[in-house]
Amino acid sequence: MFFRVMDQSRLPDLVRGLAEEFEVVGPVAKDDRYVFGRIEDPADLELHYDTTLLPPKKLFFPPEERMMRFRVADNEVVDDEVYAGPRVLFGVHPCDINGLLLMDNVFMGDFEDPYYKARRENTVIVGVSCTPTDTCFCNAWGTDEVHWGFDIFLTDLGDRYFVSVRSVLGAELLDRHVETREIGDADTEAFQSASRKFKGSFTEELDTSQLPLLLDAKFDSPMWDELGDRCLSCGACSTVCPTCYCFDVVDRLEPDQKTGMRERRWDSCQFVEFAAVAHGENFRVSRASRVKYRYYHKQWGYLSKFERVLCVGCGRCERACLAKISPREVVKALETGGVQ
Amino acid sequence: MTASKNQHLAANPYRPWPTRITSIVDLTENEKLFELRIIDDEVRDTFRFDSGQFVEMSIFGVGEAPISISSAPSKRGFIELCVRKAGDVTGALHSKRCGDIIGIRGPFGRGFPIQEMKGHDVLLVAGGLGIAPLKSLINQIHDERHEFGKVTILYGARNPSEVLFRYQFDMWKHRDDFELILTVDEADDSWADEVGVVTKLFDKIEIDSARTYSAICGPPVMYRFVIDEMRKKGMDVDRIFVSFERRMKCGIGKCGHCGVGHQYTCIDGPVFSYWEAMNLQEAI
Repeated sequence: MFFRVMDQSRLPDLVRGLAEEFEVVGPVAKDDRYVFGRIEDPADLELHYDTTLLPPKKLFFPPEERMMRFRVADNEVVDDEVYAGPRVLFGVHPCDINGLLLMDNVFMGDFEDPYYKARRENTVIVGVSCTPTDTCFCNAWGTDEVHWGFDIFLTDLGDRYFVSVRSVLGAELLDRHVETREIGDADTEAFQSASRKFKGSFTEELDTSQLPLLLDAKFDSPMWDELGDRCLSCGACSTVCPTCYCFDVVDRLEPDQKTGMRERRWDSCQFVEFAAVAHGENFRVSRASRVKYRYYHKQWGYLSKFERVLCVGCGRCERACLAKISPREVVKALETGGVQ
Repeated sequence: MTASKNQHLAANPYRPWPTRITSIVDLTENEKLFELRIIDDEVRDTFRFDSGQFVEMSIFGVGEAPISISSAPSKRGFIELCVRKAGDVTGALHSKRCGDIIGIRGPFGRGFPIQEMKGHDVLLVAGGLGIAPLKSLINQIHDERHEFGKVTILYGARNPSEVLFRYQFDMWKHRDDFELILTVDEADDSWADEVGVVTKLFDKIEIDSARTYSAICGPPVMYRFVIDEMRKKGMDVDRIFVSFERRMKCGIGKCGHCGVGHQYTCIDGPVFSYWEAMNLQEAI
């Protein structure tokens, strides 16, 4: 990786330049929160945001998407094209970039998902450093740092950005649209100092030792019943999660009943019918079993395949949960016990 | 980066192959056997599967359902699906006629370990519609009979009218290279075979547990009882194989609906050894 330094006053040049070639999407204010939205004017970009309501997964794996149009008579696909315009996703935090890398394992590993892949391959990622909030726990999984998965990454040094350049395209875009300079020792030192300050500003260090094993050892713990009693099965946790990828598939017929669309929509393992089969069997009827499954899958199921936990510690689910269930609380409950 | 905004998808694992229904046999009041032929020559000629694998059966306008293949892998050019009318998609299939076109995707999942089973005795236990995936294995063993030792098949249904493939089993009962025992929970006057749950049949069979592989398929409640009987006969947990039914919606490990413990039924199963199943939470 190589590095450049860019004065913060140059930021609008970069955004305007990128907008000439791409649709630019980044954090913008919405009421008192933030969302990833289209950037028409560099002044709309809110790079000092805490976190967005929805994670950037919506740009690669939309809440609803048409998979194919079909003809009923001969059960034939009419078209399965995917719209994937060239886009820049500007101002993504390390947790969310890591979230995309975790999604890549599912959608771009065995049996590549062509819809996700088309958008992923047509999106330039510009990351930006952040300040931990009191719900952030990315430090627990190491997702507070990001080493790949971006084209350009901007680390905020106050008056300037320490710019990490990961891809050829990132280098070209930087060269084409904004004035930068070589890094000096003072810049590297300021970068290190910023990193230390960042690492030191988390409100807690979560103990995650032996977590996958504890999930099995405490599978019948009453803690799950307590969580199940509180959970409202609303699925908000999965909706706002940057790594929840489950979906449902629905066919919709046109009024003429001759053609239609097969669509997919975000789904949630917290919904009661999620594990029901046609013969009437439902493998997760109780709320407790569903809450447990969410954690079991994220911290053991996914890990058993990809050696990473399917959580980036963004804290969105904790903020979204009306029952105030937070992954930090669940991890702490699992870790409690033994001789201190 | 590609310049075009609309991309045509060359390879799309969600896209079903148009497939013609070439024969429909009414097996029971609620179950039919469909013989299917993929229309595209190249796709059909390269379609290979293992016993125990499934396809996503697709009817546009209604949806998709995962169905185990019932025919033997050696039967080329056609596949057979034994389908109970249980939901919207299977209901729509039941209303199709011979010659109609549906779609299939697949084959998906991990089937029975046929290579491992060769050279051994085989015990197959089916309950109800569980005979559908086992039928593929039974037919494969039949086709390569010399590769296997003693073959025992236990099959239980609720009543005589729900016994599937009865015409074939009635013929097989007279063969001495298959030990086939049928049982029903409730008999009627026409029934000359056993009466009672399938686990009762274990008193009637001899198993050399050291050289036997077994496969079980049936309703979820059946597994534990059948496995108890097998364990009593001294069978090892890693030579007992089970096939799970879960909601395999995408078939390719993405949609999440078929999660069982830490795995997905669609790509890690549907066939698991009992040892693997013991390590899957809430599996059995």
